[in-house]
Amino acid sequence: MGKKNNIRNFCIIAHIDHGKSTLADRLMECTGQVSERDMEAQLLDSMDIERERGITIKLAPVRMFYKADDGEEYELNLIDTPGHVDFTYEVSRSLAACEGAILIVDATQGVEAQTLSNVYLALENDLEILPVINKIDLASARPEEAKKEIEEVIGLDASYAPLVSAKEGINIREVLEDVIKYFPAPQGDDDAPLKALIFDSYYDNYKGVILFVRIKDGTVKPGDRIKTFRSDKEYDVVEVGAFNPRLLPKEILVSGEVGYIAASIKSIQDVAVGDTVTGVLRPAAEPLPGYKKVQSVVFCGIYPLDGSKFNDLKDALLKLQLNDASLLFEPDSSVALGFGFRCGFLGLLHMEIIQERLEREFGLEIITTAPSVSYKVVKTDGEELFVDNPSHLPPVSEIEHIEEPIVKADIYSPPDYLGQIMDLCREKRGVFLQMTYLDKSRVRLEYRLPLNEIIFDFFDSIKSRTRGYASFDYELCGYEKSKLVKMDILLNGEICDALSMIVHEDSAYPRGRTLCENLKDAIPRQLFEIPVQAAIGGKIIARETVKAMRKDVLAKCYGGDITRKKKLLEKQKEGKKRMRQIGNVEVPSEVFMQILKTNKD
Amino acid sequence: MAGIYVHIPFCKAKCRYCDFASFPEKLYLAESYMACVYREMAMRKEELKGYNFDTLYIGGGTPSVVDENYIAMLVAAAKKNFSLSPSAEITIEINPGTVSAGKIDLYSKCGINRFSVGLQTAIDSQLAEIGRIHTLNQFVTCAKLLKGKNFSVDVMIGLKGQTPDDVIKTIEVAAAFGASHISMYALSPEDGTPIYTDYLNGELPDADEVADMYAAGYKKLEELGFHRYEVSNFAKKGKESRHNLNYWKRGEYIGFGVSASSHIGNVRFTNTFGLDEYFKCLLSGNLAVVDRETVDKDGQEEEFIMLALRTSAGIDREEYTRLFGKDFISEYKDAINKMNGYIEVTPRRIKIKDEYLFVQNTIIIEFLRNRL
Repeated sequence: MGKKNNIRNFCIIAHIDHGKSTLADRLMECTGQVSERDMEAQLLDSMDIERERGITIKLAPVRMFYKADDGEEYELNLIDTPGHVDFTYEVSRSLAACEGAILIVDATQGVEAQTLSNVYLALENDLEILPVINKIDLASARPEEAKKEIEEVIGLDASYAPLVSAKEGINIREVLEDVIKYFPAPQGDDDAPLKALIFDSYYDNYKGVILFVRIKDGTVKPGDRIKTFRSDKEYDVVEVGAFNPRLLPKEILVSGEVGYIAASIKSIQDVAVGDTVTGVLRPAAEPLPGYKKVQSVVFCGIYPLDGSKFNDLKDALLKLQLNDASLLFEPDSSVALGFGFRCGFLGLLHMEIIQERLEREFGLEIITTAPSVSYKVVKTDGEELFVDNPSHLPPVSEIEHIEEPIVKADIYSPPDYLGQIMDLCREKRGVFLQMTYLDKSRVRLEYRLPLNEIIFDFFDSIKSRTRGYASFDYELCGYEKSKLVKMDILLNGEICDALSMIVHEDSAYPRGRTLCENLKDAIPRQLFEIPVQAAIGGKIIARETVKAMRKDVLAKCYGGDITRKKKLLEKQKEGKKRMRQIGNVEVPSEVFMQILKTNKD
Repeated sequence: MAGIYVHIPFCKAKCRYCDFASFPEKLYLAESYMACVYREMAMRKEELKGYNFDTLYIGGGTPSVVDENYIAMLVAAAKKNFSLSPSAEITIEINPGTVSAGKIDLYSKCGINRFSVGLQTAIDSQLAEIGRIHTLNQFVTCAKLLKGKNFSVDVMIGLKGQTPDDVIKTIEVAAAFGASHISMYALSPEDGTPIYTDYLNGELPDADEVADMYAAGYKKLEELGFHRYEVSNFAKKGKESRHNLNYWKRGEYIGFGVSASSHIGNVRFTNTFGLDEYFKCLLSGNLAVVDRETVDKDGQEEEFIMLALRTSAGIDREEYTRLFGKDFISEYKDAINKMNGYIEVTPRRIKIKDEYLFVQNTIIIEFLRNRL
């Protein structure tokens, strides 16, 4: 039992770009987990997308051994966390597996909105918090102000916070010492019935589903028979182990430890993240609390570019859902796009990440439709239904009214940009709630905003209007009655269902006009002229024209050029394969994303 | 029908749009180069014994930049090594800035009977802009030297600052001085050429403006009695380029010199683009072929269609059946239906309608199999 005193389970929370992954890498390096030579920058961000965007989406646990100044050797389990507002759910998953959280604050930027929401999450989970001031090597670093901000805004004592530079490797040992000093050792009873929280999982082609668990009570070893609370299925444990960060088999996992279980679990639907694993012989009486059920906020259609790849898309979505329970989907079909799926996401970034993962990790070519929110439609006969797909909206005559989801948004910004932010919120039908000066350089603005106004380009707009200084967070706060209409887009006189959208009556005209203009530029010229129209009901509200093509010819086609020219033509033909036929109009898949833009490029 | 092409990779200066194999700074190597070409011809002699050639085309680069005696020797070498018909069409490309009465005289004496003059535009500021070494006046002098001879003039459209009126003027000048053939082709900004920067900066006319220039030029050419026989080629009756027609009919041809391409017995092959490499091969007694591709039956059919649809005559249905043993109409039913309105189907031919020849790619690709 004494051994547990030498275990620390912790995570790192931080705003995007504040250096979370870099610090994680330094900790691993400092404990000799990875030799410097082997290190690719930012080891835990193992997905290409994560490394490219410099953000962490998936949790990647790792175990480190550290010989502390007190002479003892400690086992440190680090569970990395995503930083974006869309991934709050994933953050809460990893928090539940830890006793402590390192809070990274950028010495040049101070406390950000997301830092706050994650700190509150950690506090809700009864985690001990260790503030760390990062990027002290930068000339613009103001560590004392950052500390003061932590104390004023968050209310944490920051006097003992280590001042580090993860990039330059300054004061990393101090962080490790503080982890041991301030974070409590895990508690648990090895002799009690097994209770292990599944905080993540993924599918391995050889071993089946790999469960990432935190053992709360009991032990688990190969040969044990286990089950989960939500399913009746039983499994024989084949392998258990720790994260190296790659899988490293061990003889046994005991309470307090973080590790993985492989039990030849074939079906990815049978084990849900948040569920509790227990023993078959001596089951625990009740499961661990698990996680709060997620709710999709943004929806879109995802279709295979090649209609015959429907099943591949389905398999890919199932595999992604295995370790991302927040991804929801169901089969759907469209006149323009054929068979595909209607998918639900936590937010726009989540949606983009899933789209990219489908393309990169599964090699799928997909078409996505415009994002939508879930509207509450009250029909004249009193029936209520939720509609997230504009083409499923009942006929106008059957609609009594429509309600739309509303969020409460917190926007943090230097006071210089208040005017711009307020203008933007007004354009987006926002209702001002209140304004608080946090200190002389930071203001918090609270607004009520319709969700469908912020899922398009709100985040980008706010960043560009404040030169990146403002940050923004939101939470859903119910539905409100609103004047919403369905706007259709007609190409050469035919409705393209994949481009239909639900918009507020007041913004229908400008939206219709902008969309037609953008579509006009995005649809390549063809042999004939194509009218592009926006319509509400039967009424045309905007029109543009894609002019007929007038020049499409290869330059001099003599002698040896023929092989090369033939390839050029074949390539042109190949490009056409990527287009969808709507009536007699050929439409490139990118066109379906034009609807996202609310401004003229 | 078969043709011979010889590439002369030298110029006085490189034009800003040029991405052909041409080495202005290596002009001093012309004599050695020509010796290598004669040698290359000799090496191909045996292999091409059974061929009767009826065109010889000396292109470049600027063939008229090298000593005219080398050109005369080149024609002689072609005649010595191959069976070149007495009525063969023998063409040389000339730059108005590099000719003299003596040159033209020797060219004619050695058997050259067709000249292709690179005018490009009759507007001096535009000539300077694209890096041509000559002026309109020099073209006039050159055309006077060619009086009474069979010559063609190259005209470019889509140049920076060019208008449809400029194109018309250029065509009128060429016609007035007696051209029997005019090639009018659109500038194609290739990556790596200086003009590509202009293209990226949006300084070149857009597709619509180029289409306007083409339409204006086309109209003027028809008025002046030049009929269009291929999208970029216009000729007085009987003055079509036999050498180029052979390309569009998938005929056979042999190429000599740097970057020259050949098509012999359904094999397409190309010589190296490097001058040093070419010398190295030839001086050590080897050919300088770098790319070789055997065109299979589907590929032959694809080439046949894409080349024939470039021409005003279009596809000869009987010839298609003779070559591929199928009926074109039943073979391409879907594409024909889809392109109905843009093509003309007659009992003997399938052709792109006159008004759509300048947007032919979109139409041609409907007739290609997807082989990628």
